[in-house]
Amino acid sequence: MFESPYSFENLDVGQNPTWLNWFLSLPLVIQIAVVSILISTCFILYIQYRIWYIRFKNYIYNKRVKYIVPILDDLITEQIVLKSNASQNQFGEPAFNIPNQIRAEFRSRKYRQIIIDRIIKYQADFTGTIGTEMRNLYMELGLDKVSFRKMKSRKWEKKIRGIRELTNMDILIADVNILPLTNNKRQELRSEARNAYIKLSKNEPFKFFDVTTEPLLKWDQIELFKTITTTENIAIPNFARWVTYSNNKSVVAFCMELIVYYKQYDAAPAVVKLLENKDHLLRAQAINCLGKLKYEQAAPQLVHIYSNQPLNCRLEILKALGRMGNKENVTFLKQEFMYSTDFDIRKNAAKSIVRNSNKQQIDLLMESCTPENQLILKHNLNPLIKY
Amino acid sequence: MRNILVIDDDEIIQNVLDKVLTKEGFHIELAGNGKEGLSQIEKMAYDLVITDLMMPYANGFEIISRLKKHPNTANAAIIVISSITNEDSIMDGFKLGIDEYVRKPIIIGELVMRIKKLLSPRT
Amino acid sequence: MLQIGQWLINFYESSVFAYGAILLLIYTMLAIFSFISIRKYLRRESCSDYHDLLKSALSPGISVIAPAFNEGLSIIMNVQSLLTLNYPIFEVLLINDGSTDNSMEQLIKVFELEKVDFAYNPKLHAKPIRGIYKSTNPAFSKLTVIDKINGKSKADAVNAGINVASFDYFVCTDVDCILEMDTLLKLIKPVMEESSRRIIAVGATLRTANSCDIDQGVIIQMKPPSKLLPKFQEMEYIRAFVLGKMGWNLINCIPNVSGGLGLFDKEIAIKAGGYDAQSFGEDMELLVRMCRYSGDNQIKYAVKYIPETLCWTEVPSTIKIFMRQRSRWARGLAQLMYAHFKMFFNPQYGRAGLITFPYNFFFELLAPIIEIVGLIYYLYLWISGRINTEYAVLLLLFVYSYSIMITTIAILWDQITFRYYKSWKDVLLLCATACLEIFLYHPMIVFFSIRGYYYFLTGKKHVWGDMQRQGFGQARKN
Repeated sequence: MFESPYSFENLDVGQNPTWLNWFLSLPLVIQIAVVSILISTCFILYIQYRIWYIRFKNYIYNKRVKYIVPILDDLITEQIVLKSNASQNQFGEPAFNIPNQIRAEFRSRKYRQIIIDRIIKYQADFTGTIGTEMRNLYMELGLDKVSFRKMKSRKWEKKIRGIRELTNMDILIADVNILPLTNNKRQELRSEARNAYIKLSKNEPFKFFDVTTEPLLKWDQIELFKTITTTENIAIPNFARWVTYSNNKSVVAFCMELIVYYKQYDAAPAVVKLLENKDHLLRAQAINCLGKLKYEQAAPQLVHIYSNQPLNCRLEILKALGRMGNKENVTFLKQEFMYSTDFDIRKNAAKSIVRNSNKQQIDLLMESCTPENQLILKHNLNPLIKY
Repeated sequence: MRNILVIDDDEIIQNVLDKVLTKEGFHIELAGNGKEGLSQIEKMAYDLVITDLMMPYANGFEIISRLKKHPNTANAAIIVISSITNEDSIMDGFKLGIDEYVRKPIIIGELVMRIKKLLSPRT
Repeated sequence: MLQIGQWLINFYESSVFAYGAILLLIYTMLAIFSFISIRKYLRRESCSDYHDLLKSALSPGISVIAPAFNEGLSIIMNVQSLLTLNYPIFEVLLINDGSTDNSMEQLIKVFELEKVDFAYNPKLHAKPIRGIYKSTNPAFSKLTVIDKINGKSKADAVNAGINVASFDYFVCTDVDCILEMDTLLKLIKPVMEESSRRIIAVGATLRTANSCDIDQGVIIQMKPPSKLLPKFQEMEYIRAFVLGKMGWNLINCIPNVSGGLGLFDKEIAIKAGGYDAQSFGEDMELLVRMCRYSGDNQIKYAVKYIPETLCWTEVPSTIKIFMRQRSRWARGLAQLMYAHFKMFFNPQYGRAGLITFPYNFFFELLAPIIEIVGLIYYLYLWISGRINTEYAVLLLLFVYSYSIMITTIAILWDQITFRYYKSWKDVLLLCATACLEIFLYHPMIVFFSIRGYYYFLTGKKHVWGDMQRQGFGQARKN
């Protein structure tokens, strides 16, 4: 079926070993098959070794954790947790009484990452005196230097881990170290560096909102939101500035979330201007923001623009009017509830009506509407149903 | 001596609460999840239960609901310790009858004061 | 005449040879792609912190939809297990699909349910709902139970759930699947990390729960199955998910998100028409339709995959039930190819049309047919003495060693993501199973697939039957 392209005349058959003669006598395809069999077999054996090696490494790691973590936990319990109400040590004295051998083990390459991870876990669970003492322990063991060294690693994920360890422990990173990373080509590293800068820097933490041109991922927004809202001593600006001037839609959207969180009512006029924005998603968020701020002055404008809006904006308008609580809006809401052909419009209108009406008014409405609308009203009246 | 049950799958929280509260003179029992917690309450009555919300077997709210019905813990004070901070979860907790909702990270001194306050009228 | 015959034979043999060679190359490519994909994923995961997502008010809400039919043995435990998922804002929609056992009574009693007046918009077609129930106990405020008339298919039940779901994303799972506690956090992450494309679906690895140590719906210790048939399936799942789908993930060509676990964009799913109750492979069929809808409406989309195991499910342990399952899947695939043939090499649908669909057509749908025909032809050649035995053995050895290598690579990738099994012996045994696959398991798959295609062509009614589950109720320690 398959002919060999080799000609035998040119081969000095007598000199070669038998297996080589045999191999060369095969058709090309079969030669490839034989070589592949060998490669596959070697690969299979190599993979088995890798699997074993990975498991072995993991076994060693678990053994190390089992050994060192109880020692660390005992130390923390004795010297931090149970002494947390005691007075602070004198400045300059080593705060922790750690035997030299244990100290050396904590710092050793074998155990130090395990120690760092454990200390960070304590930090996640406890703040106040325990939190501060954990930080002191981290620094006294020289582990901050370990984290700093990670920032110099060539691997981006190691850099990120280093930055994260330092920000978790509230260790200051100099601007000269962190700012270059905010322009790194790796997106994850840029976000982490930006996050760290906002948390730790004393100079203009929010200047990134001015310069960033790429979209802020939702994931990054969550981390950023947490950093901004949980960092102490951070000067919170009026986010209206970026709502008005930024060209970056995700920055604008994110700032609106912050406006709601910090209840920045003076920012509301800037948000109202967004009602004329061409992007319907941004408009919807602006309406949502105004509703959560309960900015009643915007209500007439919302009613006015309602009929020209796509569905998502209309739904937000209905929700916002419900949150604002003007009794004047109830008529408009009732109109939408009774006459709109869209189910979601009627459902949201009903929710807002229920929020702003008393029992008699609702009973009156119930009598005059269709069975389907009655069901919608009952749905919104039932405290067991949340959404 | 007051009995306190700590239900949390986080061993750090278990360990720290155990040491601190024992030092304060309470008797502490530990459980790593709801299932263990519910078997603990069969053995004795508790004055206070400190529980997490996110654990295997059954979520914290279901545990609290069962604690409220069990004779050994029906009158116990309940403190929830959780990373979850959304309004709905907190409201659900108070509807179930918890006494305190403590967000992580915890200030241990403050928690101890709250525990003492919760348990003092019962002296 | 003889010349034409000879030419045809040569053409056939060359085509089969080319087909085999391309398939082997595709697997090599997938092995490399999946390695890159998994490494990327692990590097990102090593510096990801899910706590912020867990605590955040900005996290998107997720509806967990779980249909159930006659799962009375374990339904309470399964619902309790779903309510323990780690996520700030979610709801659990349990759909009682006209069960004839005491499922509904158990649910009402244990979860303190009462019927409520629930207004929903039936955007997708499903059998009528008899009642919607909410709990009077705030502990179960996340639970909604939908009692409906049996629609004779899971698709119908899930559609009913989608109609009632409140959030923009839904996770579709089987109620008897055991989900990892961080499932929702892990599934939503790819959605939140994407800026330019719309993520319409996210899938993750499924695994067999058949011999795991399970206590009241919680996996205590993972073990590969002890019986041979589930063992084959475990090995196959690892290869299909960790190697296959992660490989396709790199180039955004994922063919299917499993019905056992998948996160979907609700708006696109509804606009694509929801699940098709007539389909035998409704999970794959929905994804194809969602891709098609996105293509038709110029929506830049992606489907993502996570190599971690987030879901454990009980797989058929008897040949009879396994046969039904595989015939159904094959039938579903044939149906799908027939219904959506417009996508075949159609550039309007991007990679789905140019890569995924043709791949599925040639190397999934046609594979069993080409194999059977090839085998018959091979036997004929052998009987008529036209086979060079030495070459034949070498070629077979080549294919055999290659397939074992690919499976072992998949198991290695699986071990890299997570050391799921307690002992190395378990892993070794699974690798050894690969040696038996070509003799025992693969012929079954081929035969059952052909059976499925036959039923597709003849339109025979499918008998669903019960899975005859062992239930996860009792603690089982093997």
